[in-house]
Amino acid sequence: MHSSRITPYLYVAPLVALLLFVFGYPLVRIFEFSFKMVRGIDGPWIGFRNYELVLTQSLFWESVLHNIYLLLAVPFMVGWSLIISVILYERLKGWRLYRIVLFLPYILAIPIIAVIVKKMFQFNGPVNEVLRWIGFDFLALDWIGSSDVALWTVMLLIIWRESALGIILFLARLLSLDESLIESAKIEGANWWQRLWFVIVPQMKIVIEFYIVVSVITILSAVFAYVFVIGGGRGGPGTSTMVVEFYIFNALIRSSLPGIASAVSVMLFLVSLLLIVPLFAIRRRANEEEVR
Amino acid sequence: MTRQPGFSRRQVLKTAAGVAAGAATMNFAQRMAQAQSPELNMWWWGEQELPGLQSYVDDSVKGYTAATVKPMLQDTAVVISQFQTAAAAGKAPDIQFLWNGIYHMESVWLGYLRPLDGLIPDDIIKASNPTLLSRFGGKTYRVGWYPLPMIWIYNKDLFDKAGLDADNPPKTWDEFLNACDKMKAAGIAPVGGGIQDGYWGEWYFGHALAQNVDSAGEVIQLFTGERDFRDPKYHEHWVKLEELKKKDFLNSEMPSTDLYSGIDLIVAGKVGAGLSIASRLPKDSKTTNGRIGTMVMPVYGKGKLAGRPIFDSQGLGISAGSTNPEAAAKFLEYLQSADRLKAMYDKTGWIPSSTNFDVSVIEDPAVRDMWQKWGLSPNIPYLSNLVPGQFYEQALLPTAQQVIGGKITGAEAGDLAADVAKQWRDFNPDVVENYKKWAADLGG
Repeated sequence: MHSSRITPYLYVAPLVALLLFVFGYPLVRIFEFSFKMVRGIDGPWIGFRNYELVLTQSLFWESVLHNIYLLLAVPFMVGWSLIISVILYERLKGWRLYRIVLFLPYILAIPIIAVIVKKMFQFNGPVNEVLRWIGFDFLALDWIGSSDVALWTVMLLIIWRESALGIILFLARLLSLDESLIESAKIEGANWWQRLWFVIVPQMKIVIEFYIVVSVITILSAVFAYVFVIGGGRGGPGTSTMVVEFYIFNALIRSSLPGIASAVSVMLFLVSLLLIVPLFAIRRRANEEEVR
Repeated sequence: MTRQPGFSRRQVLKTAAGVAAGAATMNFAQRMAQAQSPELNMWWWGEQELPGLQSYVDDSVKGYTAATVKPMLQDTAVVISQFQTAAAAGKAPDIQFLWNGIYHMESVWLGYLRPLDGLIPDDIIKASNPTLLSRFGGKTYRVGWYPLPMIWIYNKDLFDKAGLDADNPPKTWDEFLNACDKMKAAGIAPVGGGIQDGYWGEWYFGHALAQNVDSAGEVIQLFTGERDFRDPKYHEHWVKLEELKKKDFLNSEMPSTDLYSGIDLIVAGKVGAGLSIASRLPKDSKTTNGRIGTMVMPVYGKGKLAGRPIFDSQGLGISAGSTNPEAAAKFLEYLQSADRLKAMYDKTGWIPSSTNFDVSVIEDPAVRDMWQKWGLSPNIPYLSNLVPGQFYEQALLPTAQQVIGGKITGAEAGDLAADVAKQWRDFNPDVVENYKKWAADLGG
């Protein structure tokens, strides 16, 4: 019957309308603002001028470069998460407690962690005091005060916290593996590395791919809180920890340039979209494998 | 026939008529009361930096009978944006808290604020010292609320230890360098604080750029392109900072310490001298038993503003959309009454922004002397409040951090500042015109 074909659409229509309003409307406005010189809540149409200004500004490219540097954290996060999860999987004594301790950073708010880390990494803070005490003076760097080092301190913090998600994801996958395969490899004489590389990793390929995509998106568009606290609320010292997200925040809130902030947001959105597409492909593949 | 229990039709009608009459009477009384006592919305900020202000506001609102004032404390991040959004939607409060200089001037240019001239008596506005930076087109847009004199402080015990005269701090740059030498020789970090959050760079700019300019308008011309940061006199302040760095006079933890923790180092006797804000002085003086001295920045420049005490104030204004600006003005006038000035001091321990405030109630001689010099003597406005937001973020704060970090020289800081000023003009062609007009009000 004709009416029965449209009935399901009628049921979902209110939710679709709500989603369009909550997510679609702001998105459309951001695209619109990116072509305007906004003052207050609106402004005149200026075509691609905002994009032109942003793309010719060295600070924007410096911010992009910092995001790219931070992407170097992803292989470390994957490797670290994998090794720790396999160690936990082997159920060394107290592994359940270690699992909780390792996941703890992920459930704590980033600002809380970052404030503590900031105190610890001050020039005369506990980390450097310990390093000096054990005779490693050359390692007692100005972790958050030097523009040469601050971005790497941010990266360390990201690796430490974001790896917690990787550990839990990988451990969950490991616990669902067929243990007989690993036992067989052990009986056949495969050592720990061989078992990891030839038996465990291939079976975890999907979850590792998923974690990589999620981590890349996180680093491109969700490191604001890390940079805000470690970079003194400014992306500093100098502009050494400025990332694209922070650039948008500064343009919008501190420089009263909503048009510029919108133009950069649109670019970031499109880049993130490009990354979300493979994420969906991975999930689809995972579902297909599950079915098989 | 037995009657059903309950109301008769007549009783119901009588009751309904009574209720309607009562409601009408109450409505009339309310409308009369509203006509007699207008309602004012006040969006304010300040408890964050001056604890006790909330209590003062509540007390003031409670004691005010000419209008019903509804205060709302705003979050720091949205003080400006929330007001501008509300004003654009025609829902701005009657009274709005306003930071000085560019932080409220953009709202003036957008037509969201009403000039106070003619609404509040001139003598009251003048006594509140909203400073020159509140003027545009010959009109004043703020009344001062509480003051923020910008000061240099030094630790008198450390001066004694270094063999310096703690009652006569250095007045010239050479005297200051000499004092730094002596402190360094005595094992004291001579000068500094904390710049990790960048604000130290803003304070330093406000003190030091003043040394080589003749007016606030001249500073604006650095942004409009009529003057250039590459001119040595306009970046000499960063060269002087470089000099302090090269002579190893700055405390080693300065790059990784934030502004207020850095001031704590001076109070704690770990750094000899540095920048501070006068609202901290009562507490810092008490902590050290009066061993914190105040001074203006030692002079090296030849501008007319060199060596003058710097005065800034937080303020209040009236929105253009207020339906009852006269009532709002009366409330602001009430906040400047002798009783309210005293109440602010009692509730916050800090001086209100008014030359009419009775200074005899200030017990600490260090605070009283500071107020005499910074608040009641000829002073200059805080020039960092002229800086456009984009320049503030991309040049003002980063340059000082990079000079102190040894990454760039003072002259390179001037180049960077000139580049960012140009970028600001490209990004904000419409605002540049307003800045040029503003310069005329500020003696440019």
